[in-house]
Amino acid sequence: MTSLALAALVVVVVAIRVLRRRSRSGRGSSSATPRRAAATHSSVTLVAAREIRERTKTRMFKLGTVVILVVVGAAIVVPTLNRHPSRPERVAVVGASLAGTSSALAIAGSSAGVAVVTRTVPSLGRAEALLRLGDVDVVDVDGREVLVAHASDASGTSSTARFVAAAAAELGVVRAMDVAGLSAAQVAILARSRPVTVTSLSGKSTPARSVDPEALIGDILIFTMLSQYNTWTLMGVMEEKSSRVIEVLLSALRPLQLLGGKVAGIAAVALAQATLVVAFALALSYGVGSSIVHGTSWLALLDTLMWLVVGYGFYSWVYAAAGSMAERQDQVQSLVLPLSLPMIFGYVTALVGASSGSVSWLLRLLAYLPPTAPFAMPVLVGMHAASGWAVAVSVLISLASTVVVARGAAGIYRRAILRTGRRVRWREVMTR
Amino acid sequence: MADLLELEGLQRRFGDTVALDDLSFEVRAGQVVGFIGPNGAGKTTSMRAVLGLTDLQSGTVRWAGRTVDFESRRRFGYMPEERGLYPGMKVGEHLEYLAQLHGVSRGDAERRVEEWLERLQVADRRDDRVEALSHGNQQRVQLAAALVHGPELLMLDEPLAGLDPTGIDDIGAILVEQAREGRCVLFSSHQLDQVEDLCESVVIIDHGRLVAQGRVEDLATSGARRLVVRVEGDSRGEWAAALSGVRVSQVSGGEVRLVVDDGVDSDAVLDAARRAGRVSEFRFARRRMSEVFREALS
Repeated sequence: MTSLALAALVVVVVAIRVLRRRSRSGRGSSSATPRRAAATHSSVTLVAAREIRERTKTRMFKLGTVVILVVVGAAIVVPTLNRHPSRPERVAVVGASLAGTSSALAIAGSSAGVAVVTRTVPSLGRAEALLRLGDVDVVDVDGREVLVAHASDASGTSSTARFVAAAAAELGVVRAMDVAGLSAAQVAILARSRPVTVTSLSGKSTPARSVDPEALIGDILIFTMLSQYNTWTLMGVMEEKSSRVIEVLLSALRPLQLLGGKVAGIAAVALAQATLVVAFALALSYGVGSSIVHGTSWLALLDTLMWLVVGYGFYSWVYAAAGSMAERQDQVQSLVLPLSLPMIFGYVTALVGASSGSVSWLLRLLAYLPPTAPFAMPVLVGMHAASGWAVAVSVLISLASTVVVARGAAGIYRRAILRTGRRVRWREVMTR
Repeated sequence: MADLLELEGLQRRFGDTVALDDLSFEVRAGQVVGFIGPNGAGKTTSMRAVLGLTDLQSGTVRWAGRTVDFESRRRFGYMPEERGLYPGMKVGEHLEYLAQLHGVSRGDAERRVEEWLERLQVADRRDDRVEALSHGNQQRVQLAAALVHGPELLMLDEPLAGLDPTGIDDIGAILVEQAREGRCVLFSSHQLDQVEDLCESVVIIDHGRLVAQGRVEDLATSGARRLVVRVEGDSRGEWAAALSGVRVSQVSGGEVRLVVDDGVDSDAVLDAARRAGRVSEFRFARRRMSEVFREALS
């Protein structure tokens, strides 16, 4: 939570610092008076408010929000549909119990993913009666035979069937040890056996890590929302240029006020939409008893929000600068692809890392590079492969880069936004 | 003393193209001033320079004696040649937004928008999107956008282009009214007759340089004399071709418009006309704005 607040605060501070710096260096202006500063903030607020109003009332925004909520809802609800309350397998043991029988049944239960409760029954007839009544699920007859009530309990796919198959195998081993004449102590030693360490000549193998599903969902959410909001920023700037409304606006606003207001307005919409999605996800999780509301999942959700803010803060300036260089759809196409490549690369690398369970050096590197950190770092966090300080370092690198990128983008925007006719080339606006 | 817009030594090049070449002129408030010149003369670039929409290589723009800065520009109203509005925004919301960007309070903005929409006869389109309006009505809304914050200086780039006669009359009347209220109104146009009708002064530029400036009345009565002669039976004015010091500037509907040098006796012209046939019209005329324009450029 603190990190999220810090990130949001720094993005806002960066925007205001850039605006103030540009205001001070504006043509013909001296030092910024309080009245002028108030006018600057008022203008930025007006632009941001217009962005929020115009963006949120479109049908595409409403439909997109519903689609995201449906997808997130499905991701939470579907895994709970096949979940049944676990019931222990009740085992009746008849006759002489061989040494190691209890351990064998416990191992079988563990193998089948069920708990096991055993009871001793004096006779086979009584055990069969209990089996027919449904008071027990399985009967162990002298360690020689396993009885079940229905054929499906011996060969189906139910938890009982899995347990029965495992129990039959384990009891067979116990029986073999008894035939071999092993003592109870020897049987106990065998029951506690563990796999030996496997060592590769090429070095120590890294165990596969599983990624928290919430982190994975968060990564998908970040990519989807960043793609959407970056496109908004780019298209919004381009439309202002192509409709020539930019000339009317810039007779009342400084370029940086307009750009800052647009970025802030879209950021507010993005954060509001993401917060709605997260709140919906949490409420739904409570409702259906999903695992998201337990353990570290809260942190994963907050991590998602934080990286959404940080990622938008970084990319929005770049996309705004690109939008100022185009005034037609076909011109936009050639700008979007190179800009989206780092996002796609970071996102795909993060997903590959998550699915393989291995934390590669590339994934670790991308987690510290500002264009890819919003996708790589949440996955590292979800794989429990990044500490708190690592996240903090990555966030600080991204924020520092955002300051640099924002200043550069502001310069490009100022130089390109009023050039009309053909697409402005990068080299034309990279230098004063 | 009325406010004064001063452009002094403006220089702007786009690559090899010279847009403004040491352009200097003044425009006094309280007048409608026509800003004319051929295509590419630098009219739009000049207006954009005043509004800070293009960087100057050199030169100064002053308003009321002070170098124009961002704060003074917020008190200007601008109507660009290529109309600029958000197509998807509602007319009323759009105008209120622009008024507030110029520093007008929300309540005041609402009131002003109502007034201007009423005045420009588009009040019933307040809740329509801009893109749903006809060209003429979009033009009216664009003018409202330039006026809604009560600017001290109005700069209008081709405000009459594409309007029907009623629209031209309506907008022309508003421009004159704004000037009467003490504002400085500078507008560019290629429709020189309208410039002559609306403006008290004109500024003519070509290739980024000032070529003429002054009151319409003064420009119309200066230069060589104009004679309008109609000779029955002679619709082409061939009788005048042989006269020394006389040049035919226009022939239209049997009416011959002549440019007469200072040393030429008008009686000699009349005699020549009589020899060609019965003279039904013979009078001196003012220089038309189109003539002022052509002669300034030549």
